[in-house]
Amino acid sequence: MTEGKRPGGLTALAVINFVFSGWGFIGLLSLVAFFAFIGKIPTENMQETQKEQFEAFQNAGLPVFIFIFALSIITNVLLLVSGIGYLKQKKFLGRMVGNTYAVIAIVSAIVSAMMWPREVGGSFNLATILGLIYPIVTLILVNTTFREDLTN
Amino acid sequence: MNLRTPTIDHIRLISLYWSRYAVRSGSGLVYLLIALVFGLFVAYILITPVEQLIARQERELGQMNPEVIRNTIVDIGQPIIQWVLGQKSLKEIMQQAAARQRPPTNDSDKTGITVPPQQNDAGLDPWTRFLLERRPALLSAIFLVLLFGMPFIISFLAYNQVSGDIQSHGLRYLLLRTERSNIYFGRFLGTVIFSTAVMAIIVATIVFYLGIKTRIYPAPALAGWAVHGFLALAILMVPYIAVCSLISALVDSPFLSLILAKVVIAGVLVAAILGSVAWRPAKYLLYTLPWAWQCNLLHPAPARCLGAALACLLYAAVFLMLGYYCFERRDL
Repeated sequence: MTEGKRPGGLTALAVINFVFSGWGFIGLLSLVAFFAFIGKIPTENMQETQKEQFEAFQNAGLPVFIFIFALSIITNVLLLVSGIGYLKQKKFLGRMVGNTYAVIAIVSAIVSAMMWPREVGGSFNLATILGLIYPIVTLILVNTTFREDLTN
Repeated sequence: MNLRTPTIDHIRLISLYWSRYAVRSGSGLVYLLIALVFGLFVAYILITPVEQLIARQERELGQMNPEVIRNTIVDIGQPIIQWVLGQKSLKEIMQQAAARQRPPTNDSDKTGITVPPQQNDAGLDPWTRFLLERRPALLSAIFLVLLFGMPFIISFLAYNQVSGDIQSHGLRYLLLRTERSNIYFGRFLGTVIFSTAVMAIIVATIVFYLGIKTRIYPAPALAGWAVHGFLALAILMVPYIAVCSLISALVDSPFLSLILAKVVIAGVLVAAILGSVAWRPAKYLLYTLPWAWQCNLLHPAPARCLGAALACLLYAAVFLMLGYYCFERRDL
């Protein structure tokens, strides 16, 4: 319908996807570095709250870390790919991958909230809602406002 | 029909289309995301310490005592709100804090939570007392931050009401079917509708979360104050959107319009604060925009609250008419 005439909002959505994807990959690197060194950080001289947080991270276990790490990699790759799809106004790369990203990101945010200990920001809180904003906005826009623009 | 006569049906049509088109054009999408993230992040920063306090109390005492939590919020929030409302200077607040250093009470021995004695509240002015004690204090603090933060963000939505179409000469095609006044006022109203909808989403999310998750305030008190806060935020945005309408009508580049809107809205505040250090009357610069009195939208006296709302509309009318005057006469 609108081949070659991309709405400004779709370009903005693509740019935001690239930015979030970049931040996500940097965040993954810091997460890996954090888990690599967390066992070697002495907790004796820490305050009680900090000590609780560190111990909660240490006790979270490798499977939880691997699961959250894998989910984050998948969502970041989907963000990147769907961003390209938005720019090229592709039906599969844009709409389908964008929808897949949104669903996985929503599930990921809810699962992360349930899996992380409360001491380190786990459980359902405002941070979880903040994490849900972009996937929900993506889900709505890709299926309503930009539905007719992602047809190539 | 006089060409300069606004037509209600045209304005309604243009405003509804513009409010829906906002997301499609990109500016609405960027504003939506920035406003949602800012609003919820402010709430997150203010609510998280309270949640930690609740968790600590539940762990140590086995249950939460909402009264103690509310008192702690009042104790912490009192100096901040007095400073924001201009009731006390930073120096006075520091002196007050130093004077209040005292040995912990029995309650704080058990929970680490300081219960403020009643005599601390004796010096509270009616406005601070209203915001902290007669209304949900946490929500009052969030609204105060949003009242000062949202004007900086609104230009992301309102900067390109007509400047983009002036630059591309696209308005010439639209002017075959309607008048300039309908386009100008219709797009202004569309922007106001979109901004109000975003405010409603932000306030509803925060209040819903406060009510369901923290449970320290009764639901009717939260709902009533939320409606007041939402109306205050929605009305406050109107004059700032009108400033953006004026700038958008003067400039034929959307990017320049955004930069100018940012410079004007933030510049007035910065110039007044910094200028008043060197030359005291410079503080009256704040009155060129609603900065100086916008807190009155949360005032306990209905007359002052309504007066502030009317002043917002008056400012908006002045900026809007100035913008319309320029838009009606400029080359498109």
